[in-house]
Amino acid sequence: MASAPHVVIIGGGSTGAGIARDLSMRGLDVTLLEQGNLTHGTTGRMHGLLHSGGRYAVSDQKSAAECIEENRVLRRIASHCVEMTGGLFVKRPEDSEEYFEEKLRGCEACGIPAEVVSGSEARAMEPHLAEDIDKAISVPDGAVDPFRLVVANAASASEHGARIETHSTVTDLLVDGDEVVGVEVDHASGAGRHVHGVEGGTEEIRADYVVNATGAWAGRIGEMAGVDVEVRPSKGVMTIMNTRQVDTVINRCRPKGDADIVVPHETTAILGTTDEEVEDPEDYPEEEWEVDLVIDTLSELVPMLADARTIRSFWGVRPLYEPPDVGSTDPTDITRDYFLLDHEERDDLRGMTSIVGGKFTTYRMMGEEISDHVCDQFGVDADCRTAEVPLPGSEDFSVLRDYMDEFGLRSPVGRRSVERLGSRADEVLKTTDPNPVVCTCEGVTRAEVQDAIEGSGSNLNAVRIRTRASMGNCQGGFCCHRLASELHGEYDEATTRAAWNELLEERWKGQRHALWGEQLSQAMLNYALHATTQNRDHDPAERDGPPVDFGAFDDGATPTDDPPTRDAVADGGRDGD
Amino acid sequence: MSDTHSPNDFDPAEPNTSEEYDPVDVAADSADADLRPGADSCYKCSTCDTTCPVAEVDDDFPGPKFQGPEQWRLKRREDEQTIDDSVMSCSNCMRCDGACPSGVPLSEMHNTARGEYVDEQMSKTSVEYWRNRILANYRTSAWLASKVPRLASFAMNFGPARWAMEKTLGVTSERDFPEFATETFREWWERRGAAAESRRRAREARSRLDEPVDGDKKVAYFHGCYSNYNTPEVGKAMVRVYEHFGYEVVVPEQRCSGTPMFANGMVDDARRHAEVNVSSMADLVDRGYDAIASCTSCSMALRQEYPELFDIEGIDDVAARTFESVEYLRIHEDLRGELAAADIEGDLAEEFAYHAPCHARNQGLERQAVELFGELDEVTVTDVGDSCSGISGTYGWKAEKYDTSMEIGDEMFDHMEATEGETGMTECPTCAMQMEHGTGYEIRHPLELLEAALVA
Repeated sequence: MASAPHVVIIGGGSTGAGIARDLSMRGLDVTLLEQGNLTHGTTGRMHGLLHSGGRYAVSDQKSAAECIEENRVLRRIASHCVEMTGGLFVKRPEDSEEYFEEKLRGCEACGIPAEVVSGSEARAMEPHLAEDIDKAISVPDGAVDPFRLVVANAASASEHGARIETHSTVTDLLVDGDEVVGVEVDHASGAGRHVHGVEGGTEEIRADYVVNATGAWAGRIGEMAGVDVEVRPSKGVMTIMNTRQVDTVINRCRPKGDADIVVPHETTAILGTTDEEVEDPEDYPEEEWEVDLVIDTLSELVPMLADARTIRSFWGVRPLYEPPDVGSTDPTDITRDYFLLDHEERDDLRGMTSIVGGKFTTYRMMGEEISDHVCDQFGVDADCRTAEVPLPGSEDFSVLRDYMDEFGLRSPVGRRSVERLGSRADEVLKTTDPNPVVCTCEGVTRAEVQDAIEGSGSNLNAVRIRTRASMGNCQGGFCCHRLASELHGEYDEATTRAAWNELLEERWKGQRHALWGEQLSQAMLNYALHATTQNRDHDPAERDGPPVDFGAFDDGATPTDDPPTRDAVADGGRDGD
Repeated sequence: MSDTHSPNDFDPAEPNTSEEYDPVDVAADSADADLRPGADSCYKCSTCDTTCPVAEVDDDFPGPKFQGPEQWRLKRREDEQTIDDSVMSCSNCMRCDGACPSGVPLSEMHNTARGEYVDEQMSKTSVEYWRNRILANYRTSAWLASKVPRLASFAMNFGPARWAMEKTLGVTSERDFPEFATETFREWWERRGAAAESRRRAREARSRLDEPVDGDKKVAYFHGCYSNYNTPEVGKAMVRVYEHFGYEVVVPEQRCSGTPMFANGMVDDARRHAEVNVSSMADLVDRGYDAIASCTSCSMALRQEYPELFDIEGIDDVAARTFESVEYLRIHEDLRGELAAADIEGDLAEEFAYHAPCHARNQGLERQAVELFGELDEVTVTDVGDSCSGISGTYGWKAEKYDTSMEIGDEMFDHMEATEGETGMTECPTCAMQMEHGTGYEIRHPLELLEAALVA
């Protein structure tokens, strides 16, 4: 073959980005297509657990062994995305002793370092654990930032020549006879970075091979070529606490069940989850009982959760898959393993493979397997290097620095910034320009925001997932407009306004599920501030009816000697009079 | 060594008046309280920042919202090196506590963060550390000085010595050190007959007041260091005024309240002193005594900071039964009636420029002097406004903080100058230093005026 084969990967989640990195590092020509931002689907809607494998040590030992292997790999190649918090499987008095023993033996069988700690030892590690817990098993669970990890994979793929397209929806597969030869894509804006208001368009992309890595959406892509991919989407809720009540991953040590995990994630703690099969991965009810259930149940492990502040809840859809002959009725029985469906073998359709099921923690391993498979198709003999080469940002770096001297940043802000940026910290933060903190809750500075804008265009949600800006306790109440201002210069007013609106809407979406107590007060304050200073309650420029009489606003002293008219109204008036 | 006797055999009639030098314990424990959940109450409204006197004049100071809820939320439990050094520019006025509409434990967050910063990030061999430690342990210096008060008063204000102190330690030479009393309050108290004499006088007063002579009016006086070593007239006024109303006073063993130590992040020093104070006060409170402080920062420490920062047996009871000296009398006695019938003559028949200390504000006491002395015809008490005096204990004594301190105090100085007369009034000894330093006024404590009106 004269030139490298061109592979189109559909799906910009962890799997797709992992495959894109792997194949591009092996020298293939890669295009990655994602309908939203990177991590738009399930990857951006998980609790950020880096599995030790402990959770599967009884029910699914193959997955458990894969988890501990990949856990070690990610600590090495993605150190700036991973926080090794450690994890505990906590047994309450009413939980089964037999299961506890099984868990321990399972961990040993799968090579997961596990150690039994007494109730008081566990409480010494995590003082907010319930006083009456019996004991716990300590395992090397960790926390991982899925956004950062996927962005780093995409950046690495890009460095190796891959084309990354976000906001680009695959509308059809191009099939020639019995072979998939490309895709038809609808770009929301022009190709490349996503910029609001830029005219989109349709593009046909020819490909030597197509990989369907769309997770819960895999069935839809399959349909376009007339093949069945029986993904069984299952929803689960995750509730985000304002602060970290625990600094270790806390699992309930009992057989499968709802609401059994707390993951410390960055400044927050994420509670999860539920498991309910849904029809449509994009349209399913987000129900209040689910949030109540996770808070109530997890309060049995960490009592202070009952009264702690919740900042938002979100739902994710697991892309579960099982071979059609298994026939599980309960989604919790469906395996967490992944499956590579070669449509040539399976459906006599050449040129495409789907990858379904699996877990975030093993995304790289899945990527390796499917990359091997793709390479086999073309007789490419190249070794996988993704387990050895660190991701951009995770090259040798230290988080302990003199933040004030080096970057002019306050200690906690500098620390958080360097943690997020990893080895890119110098490149991004060393600036001679003023570098104010834009998001004070998460400690995100202008330099980091500008770096994200450079990488992702005018899309402020893409900036958000890269930086964590607007993801703290005020949920963007005090920084969304500042983030929008950062677009100024490069982008015009209409683009900025569209990006700003989209960010506010996204921030509101999750907060709707946390409107009681402190977060309700926060939302009311945000509303009042946005209404009074940004016309967010009712923008007079955008309503129907007669045009606004801007002359009725107080525009300062007039050059005439006439006394001011009494009917000037400061708010523009309902009817502009 | 009288320090070693246990609370059980402590006799309030035999207070410990002997002193000994505190050996300095360099191997301090780390502050380990996790205050991240305190950030749950913050809505980021910034009201605290708008009331912070330091943030108002120092653009480099990020303010209480950053120091408190933001820093704690961003912090990791076992992180090293994450407390920003700007926490040392917080003066611990605690105004943010009162400003917060939502109950964020701001000063507790600041005190704990500062303690952690000093423990883990500040070099124990630095001049700043030792300067702060010496300033925070004022009681130790004052105790030494009280042995040779005249020499100490001279030496501490001897020009070349002060120049050297500024150059080597960073203690500003702009300020005059307070004079040391030739007889400490405790020496006077002992000489006068201590608790037995107080009991005799209280009984006398009760019979004059037609109250049961065996009545149960008894208080334990927390005089603090300044009334003991520098202004014993305040302590004497307290004793005489309380006896006038029929209270028996005891003066238990006590150390520094800890206020200057909290402000300098010397939490372990503060804990050692608090243990002595709580142990002697708890014993008395248990026997029906109320704890009375004449310094509003001392009463603040016992009431709020102790229970927030320490876990010492009896601490909550002591906190609940601690009062400021004038506040307590306003609660239990008809002070207004007495003052309405009283006359005052001599150098206290004056217009006073009254400044309410920030720590008095936090206890809801900022109006008491103004309201109370309105009843006295010969006296006018003019409130000089709600600004901070700027000295904040040891803060204004640091050479690098001196200008900030004076800039904060500017508004108060202006308002003081606008009053008739040249006398000021406040409950706080260091506010008094700043008032005097900025205006040259003589500064009195409300107890002194009460004494002049009711006892003299």
